[in-house]
Amino acid sequence: MSEYDFHPLVKQLLDGDITIADLPAELRAEGEEALRLLAAVDRSPVALPAVPQRVMRALTRTPQRSLRWLLAPALALAAALVLWLGGGRSHGPIAAPGAVVTVHFVLSAPDARAVSVAGTFNQWDARATPLVRTGANGMWTATLELPPGQHQYAFVVDGVRWVPDPTAPAVDDGYGRRNSVLTL
Amino acid sequence: MILTVLALLGMQQGIADRLSGRVPPDVGAVVESLGTDAAARGLPIDPLIQKAIEGSAKRVPPERVIAAVRLVVMQLDTAAAALRAGGMISDTLAIAAGAFAINAGMDAHDITNLVLRGGGQTVVNVRLELNVAGTLVAMGVPSSEASNLVSASLQSDSPATKLLSLPSRVQGEVARGATPAQAAAGLARAAAAQARRGPPPGHPQPPPHPPAPPHP
Repeated sequence: MSEYDFHPLVKQLLDGDITIADLPAELRAEGEEALRLLAAVDRSPVALPAVPQRVMRALTRTPQRSLRWLLAPALALAAALVLWLGGGRSHGPIAAPGAVVTVHFVLSAPDARAVSVAGTFNQWDARATPLVRTGANGMWTATLELPPGQHQYAFVVDGVRWVPDPTAPAVDDGYGRRNSVLTL
Repeated sequence: MILTVLALLGMQQGIADRLSGRVPPDVGAVVESLGTDAAARGLPIDPLIQKAIEGSAKRVPPERVIAAVRLVVMQLDTAAAALRAGGMISDTLAIAAGAFAINAGMDAHDITNLVLRGGGQTVVNVRLELNVAGTLVAMGVPSSEASNLVSASLQSDSPATKLLSLPSRVQGEVARGATPAQAAAGLARAAAAQARRGPPPGHPQPPPHPPAPPHP
């Protein structure tokens, strides 16, 4: 995470969406400073592990701050990762009718005996989409192809415990619990 | 008239088939009745069926399942009225998206404003806007700020589908210490500034928004 908090327009400059000339005069000094910092970044080649491993490592890092107050210790981490199919898109989902989006669900539940994900995409069937335990650190994963739109879901631990994804937005489920929201 | 009655009977049978074996019979009977009435008012029935199945899957007592389904019907009615006030003709998926946004905490008034500011856009875009705005509200962005951010992003000539990046961008700003409201307001200001300047140099005008697919 960057320690610099640039103006959103300066961030667009760093993303290459605009040029320094597009910035308002009062932001140009900040833009030049941001470009100077960017130029100083070491761009020497780095050997990266395969994408799934990088994804998993990122998942093990990012949500831990929120877990302390969200979940019991047995559930240390959860996330739904969205991977766009169709290639070549720089942003946004597939708008073409019939397209699907690959979503990777991940939950860390070291003490769980079984984990599944249930939601609007599988008629809330707690047995339809089991997660698979991967590795020795209690990570559970499942990959689904979902249509674009809004989906609600929750993880089901040991067949009885409904747990929202702590890294996703959530809404009232009408039953005293929360459903996680996935908008594709 | 006869065709309408037959259609509603078919609808009721469809609901019964989907609920069969998934909810207790007494819940199923109430949901069939609520669903048939809702369909007659032009509301989608899928959210009702989903809520009933969800409640049973979560082993919620039948009376609470029925109460939750009735609440969904109210949210759908509210969303439909808000869309109509914005001049939008009936679209069941847009109504469902509006009900989701209301359940997330969005004001009906902001839904109407969102549609009005979009001015003649496709129903596909309205559904997308409502889903994204609802998600932003679920993240803690105030309703009016969520509506403003979605509108400003659309007016900045970005492809409509770029709206889907808004929740993660807000999340990024929150991770840097902003409140959800501050994050949304900052992004809305940036989008408005972008709209005033037009597309960035070297970036062609985005393609027109996709046409609406056939009504489901």
